[in-house]
Amino acid sequence: MIGPIISSGIISSAWDNLFAILLGMGFGFALEASGFSSSRKIIGTFFGYDFVVVKVFFTAAIVASLGLLYLNYLGLIDYSLLYIQPTFLTSAIVGGVVMGIGFAMAGFCPGTSLCAAAVGRIDGLVFFGGMFIGVFLFSEAFPLFENLYYSGSQGSPMINSVFGISPELFTFILVLAAVGMFVGASWVQKKVKKVEY
Amino acid sequence: MERKYTILTILLVVLALGLVVLPKNKERKEIDPKVLLDGVVERSRYLSVDQVTHRIIENDPTLLLVDVRPADQFKTFALPGAINLHPDSLLSQSGTDLLGQPGKDKVLYGNSDLIAEKAWLVCTRYSVNRLYIMKGGMNEWFNTIIKVKPATGTPSTTDLDLISFRNAARQFFVGDGEPATVTTTPIQKEKVPVIRKAPSASTGGGC
Repeated sequence: MIGPIISSGIISSAWDNLFAILLGMGFGFALEASGFSSSRKIIGTFFGYDFVVVKVFFTAAIVASLGLLYLNYLGLIDYSLLYIQPTFLTSAIVGGVVMGIGFAMAGFCPGTSLCAAAVGRIDGLVFFGGMFIGVFLFSEAFPLFENLYYSGSQGSPMINSVFGISPELFTFILVLAAVGMFVGASWVQKKVKKVEY
Repeated sequence: MERKYTILTILLVVLALGLVVLPKNKERKEIDPKVLLDGVVERSRYLSVDQVTHRIIENDPTLLLVDVRPADQFKTFALPGAINLHPDSLLSQSGTDLLGQPGKDKVLYGNSDLIAEKAWLVCTRYSVNRLYIMKGGMNEWFNTIIKVKPATGTPSTTDLDLISFRNAARQFFVGDGEPATVTTTPIQKEKVPVIRKAPSASTGGGC
């Protein structure tokens, strides 16, 4: 049985940056190939004429979830060695609202803005610059936000344990929810006036 | 929906259903005895009481304190956020669920190291990861954090910082009490024998 290959010592952590570059290139390629460098495509989610963003990310989540659970079941990966990002509820809600507003206004999230900047889109470049200004201001003003940043600490709860169900049952429900979303999104898309871009 | 997407959707649902209906693997995975021996020899499983206290005060979300003392002692006093798990229940469903939580550093403690060591050995044998022992247990924690010993002699800056941290920690847990002070040994004035130079004859003449 293996865990994550770097944290279990199979590969030295000195390779972190190389893996980051390779994975980043793959991720960027997938985003660009899915058309995510276009802000109009992304903003389509909010106006109801294009749900590809939700479909792609929901599909990625359920495929990864299924893959992880099957590998764990077959004894090929140690599920318990995975790092779970701790939950800070208050800051997650506030950060989610801020990011959602920025997402809806600009039509980019940080990753897709880099894709757009890489292919030379001016709106992507502007967003990219704005993002760095935002990061800089946040870093400089961090003492003001520190209490909010660390508030609502929940540890690393798994949503299935919160509901008292097994990870497998939760994944099954998630897949059904995803299928429901795919069907619902297609229905909405048919009702909304098509936008050419 | 296009035909290819319909097929993919059905495939995903079937795979997800498969996870639910597949028989659960009840057999516990035991690690290689050599690996277990390496773990026993390695001392990195120990966390000092200061390290654990620091993480409690910092409200570290990755810390899971597991108190392996009897329930009555746990009810009398336990570290904040600790969960009582009697050694008898280590391999029960609730015990394995608790210790199998991903993303958590499980820190075992008893009154001393004895029971915690045994619990660590059993759990490590059954592949529980990120498992530690609070060195010295509650006795050491009480003697170090609550009954802070004042430094003697001329303490270093590190020692003074440590005492200061422990005093602050004690106030965090207990809320009052006199802080331990640094009692330094007064420097005795040594009597320096004064040797007076005998007056010498004045030098006569110049150069």
